[in-house]
Amino acid sequence: MWYFLSDEAHSRRRIHFISLYGTVEPFISKLGTEKNMSRRKNVMASKNCTRVLSVALSLLLILFFSVSAQSQQKVIKIGAVYPLTGNIASTGLDCKRGVDLAVDIINGKYDLDLPLAKSAGLPNLGGAKIEMVYADTKGDPKNGMSEAERLITSENVVAMLGAYQSAVTKTASQITERLRIPYVCSDSSSPTLTERGFKYFFRVSPHDDIFARDQFQFLKDLEKKTGQAVHNIAVLYENTEFGSNAGKAYKKYAAEFGYKVVADITYTANATDVTSEVGKLIVSKPDVLMHASYITDAILFTKTFKEMGFQPKGIMTMAGYIEPGYLPSVKADGNYIIVRSTFALDLAKKKPLIGKVNALFKKKYGIDMSENAARSFMAPFVLAEAINRAKSTAPEAIVKALHETDIPGSQTIYPWKGIKFDPQTNQNIYARGTLVQILNQEYVTIWPFDSASKPVVWPFPAWKGR
Amino acid sequence: MPDQLLQQLADGLLIGLMYSLIAIGLTLIWGVMNIVNFAHGEFLMLGMFTSFWLFTLYGIDPIFSIPICFVLMFVMGMLIYRFIVSKVMKGPMLAQLVVTFGLSIFIANLAVYFWTPDFRLLPPTMLQGTWQIGGVALSIPKVAASLGSVIASVCMFFFLKRTKTGKAILATEMDREAALLMGINTERINSLSFGIGAALVGVAGAFLSTYYYIYPQVGGLFGTIAFCVVALGGFGSIEGAFIAGILVGLAQTLGGFYFDPSYKYAIVFMIYLITIWIRPQGLMGW
Amino acid sequence: MRDFTIPKIIAGFAILLLLIVFPMVVSHSFHIHVMILVFMFAMLGVAWNIMGGYAGMFSFGQAAFFGIGAYTSSYLSIAYGVNPWIGLVAGGCAAALVAAAIGYPCSNLRGHYFAIASIAFAEIVRIVFNNWKMVGAAEGLSLPMQNESFANFLFNSSKLPYYYIMLAFLLVSLAVCYFIATSKMGYYFRAIRESHKIAEVLGVDVVWYRLMAIMISAFLSAMAGTFYAQYILYIDPGSVMLLAMSIQIVLISMLGGAGSIMGPVIGAAILVPASEYTRITLGFKGTGMDMLIYGLLITLISMYYPEGVWKLFSRIGRKLR
Repeated sequence: MWYFLSDEAHSRRRIHFISLYGTVEPFISKLGTEKNMSRRKNVMASKNCTRVLSVALSLLLILFFSVSAQSQQKVIKIGAVYPLTGNIASTGLDCKRGVDLAVDIINGKYDLDLPLAKSAGLPNLGGAKIEMVYADTKGDPKNGMSEAERLITSENVVAMLGAYQSAVTKTASQITERLRIPYVCSDSSSPTLTERGFKYFFRVSPHDDIFARDQFQFLKDLEKKTGQAVHNIAVLYENTEFGSNAGKAYKKYAAEFGYKVVADITYTANATDVTSEVGKLIVSKPDVLMHASYITDAILFTKTFKEMGFQPKGIMTMAGYIEPGYLPSVKADGNYIIVRSTFALDLAKKKPLIGKVNALFKKKYGIDMSENAARSFMAPFVLAEAINRAKSTAPEAIVKALHETDIPGSQTIYPWKGIKFDPQTNQNIYARGTLVQILNQEYVTIWPFDSASKPVVWPFPAWKGR
Repeated sequence: MPDQLLQQLADGLLIGLMYSLIAIGLTLIWGVMNIVNFAHGEFLMLGMFTSFWLFTLYGIDPIFSIPICFVLMFVMGMLIYRFIVSKVMKGPMLAQLVVTFGLSIFIANLAVYFWTPDFRLLPPTMLQGTWQIGGVALSIPKVAASLGSVIASVCMFFFLKRTKTGKAILATEMDREAALLMGINTERINSLSFGIGAALVGVAGAFLSTYYYIYPQVGGLFGTIAFCVVALGGFGSIEGAFIAGILVGLAQTLGGFYFDPSYKYAIVFMIYLITIWIRPQGLMGW
Repeated sequence: MRDFTIPKIIAGFAILLLLIVFPMVVSHSFHIHVMILVFMFAMLGVAWNIMGGYAGMFSFGQAAFFGIGAYTSSYLSIAYGVNPWIGLVAGGCAAALVAAAIGYPCSNLRGHYFAIASIAFAEIVRIVFNNWKMVGAAEGLSLPMQNESFANFLFNSSKLPYYYIMLAFLLVSLAVCYFIATSKMGYYFRAIRESHKIAEVLGVDVVWYRLMAIMISAFLSAMAGTFYAQYILYIDPGSVMLLAMSIQIVLISMLGGAGSIMGPVIGAAILVPASEYTRITLGFKGTGMDMLIYGLLITLISMYYPEGVWKLFSRIGRKLR
């Protein structure tokens, strides 16, 4: 306690051995001088800080002018907007990895059956190289718009890609539509993006409507193949743009395919605890759970499913469960969960190109290619191939070339027939998903059954027995 | 659905006790110095990362890293007080809020810079598994965290009410000038309280890391709920924070289960608003 | 009126002239975008200031009013084809009504409790909007791209009209703040801020004036919200009702100088460019360096200028006299 006595109390205690709660007078006068001392200190500090602040402000001015400077190199600049900092940064950086690898392959000479891989740069434009200019959206739609605009007006990019989050892609593509710059998206899955009648926005990858339909098709195929029927579906989705659209699609197809939805639960992403949600799932007794979530909730829900012993016949999921951070976190608890995917490493057996690309990815980054990286990987190729065919970087020429894009499936790393855009919606008509199941902590393709590497494990084995 | 009711009650209690533990540190800082520590969520995050790195690099199980967490966060809290917060104590109240807010951004992004934004989860440690008691599944890490919370609250209670230093803290909380007149060095009390507050939430982080995912922005939602808990309990009151935490946890799970999970935090905030309208100084505030 | 000395008036007009000429000289639309954001946040800061700096009610939930304004005008425009300017007024009134509804029960709360109550209120509003199907729930509302015109409050080809409109809005809110500050209402606000019990004893109708402060603040914030909706053409609860935005508004007013008219403007002029430019130059690597610097800047300014940077300017102003 003595440490917490004032200096005055200490001295009184020492000199007079009086009890701690001593007289007041000398103490008050001491208070006075202390105040003056601190005021002087504050003034000195203010002067120093003025200097610091002025330096900081001048630095900012320098940054201001650096934005205004135009670059003069002869490369083909393509803009990419991603959430590189903020809550969803790990995903954004993951997408960036895919894009960077694609740019490496286009700009260099690689013996791969990918468009423009075998030549360095774009041959029809004298070997011009692609330069990717990134901007951080922080996951905010307002930044998506302003960054896209800045990339177009300051950096003079000829095309745009990104932005992973559908809400951000919405605003970014609004600007590109306004400024008539082509936007090729391969990583945002909200169906509404290609339903806006935009002329400059193209999507390579499947959207959530397709993914949801796939999951129900799988159930029907499973019934045909094994006779195991499913009746009750529970849908669980997080309540942002992605989740609610997925939820809508789930409910639509459940009705179409004739299944009953016994639980329709939305939740707030990044929740602290999900016991109420899982409790509601348990009492509704579904046969199959369909869950659309990002990675954080995927982890939390998996743990809570195990804790509370949630035991449906199957758990079918989207997005979060296939992010690279998911399996290292939950390890064996993730086994037997089914996820929708456009990419799976085991498809390399049937398509060696996938294995070769993954080898390059692993060499550059030290980890296997993830689904996000794989999705973002394709957009640069589609753009570069179109620019090459158009022999020009003029936006109208690129758009015309994109309308004529017809890349065969063998030149992609997905199990698609190819890449060809629907003339009305600009959605890739061949885009489709597959379903993978986590077996032994690896993603194994289990559907469509004719492309499956292994048979699906169904029903979902009991938690206790593992 | 009677069995789910027990389950939900139990889980509400468990998560509530975790909120209590986080809130106790905050209410101490708030009460003694009249500062809303916006960086509290980030201290939680630091506690989680400390526990994570101690386990990953040195193999120390989270149970044993709790005392280390306590000491480390205590020292950090005192240093932050001494070098940053004490400078604004003489300024207007808002300045103090803003300093802690700036700190929260700084600490969160320092974590991003050093540890990347990736998510981490501790692999199964000593405290793992689930107890099945009468149809109710109790997650052992959560139970341990709740026990820790109860022990910490009881310890704080006795520290504050029975020891001389503790009473000095209470005195400073109640009336700063009077405490000064009584010979208490309020500056040192301030830094002690800040240190204890940070240490407590650091310990909460260590417990939380045993079952929640760890990443630099994890402090956000927990921090906001902790403010609600503290204000609900009455700022400065340890008992208030403890009880309010439990109430909030129960409101969250029961509200989410019986009403709608997407509104569960709205229910928590609604309860706060209603309580505060009826009793403006919080449940046990003065 | 004693504040208006000749040097100050000249300085004020000079700055205004600069601002008017700025977009005609600087061609990069990004800088204009940043200035528009500066004006918008300055306006939000001024609105906050009326409630917080002058009347002493520190609200951390301004984003709720901002969002209500944005949603009201957007919904009316999409569902009923109501002209956005009318929607602007409607949004302001809606926000003011909500403000009154929440302000009345909260009017006797002390400082910190009020702050937390404002956070709770704002989060409730955000969660409700996030789940309310009629206004698009989580997907938000996209405003259709109509013909550009002043009447439609929509401009496609250039940012300049947005720039001038926002500047005008800011000047209007500054005028409102000035009139409040120098009027009887302003004195009552300050009395309530210092001690509402004594103010009550002296005969000030505390509840009424507190409500007035909140309602005016809400109306102005909602105006800014409508502007945002017409500018970005897409709103969702995650972008217009975020707690982080509310906190940024408080920061701006605080660092600039709460309780002074120009304080929030200075605060916005420093913080908004700081966060935007650090993000461009440092953000895209994903290291978090930009926010590190931003956080450091905030901490340093509040440590060394706890009463706000405006004090520095007024000190210089006094020396010039």
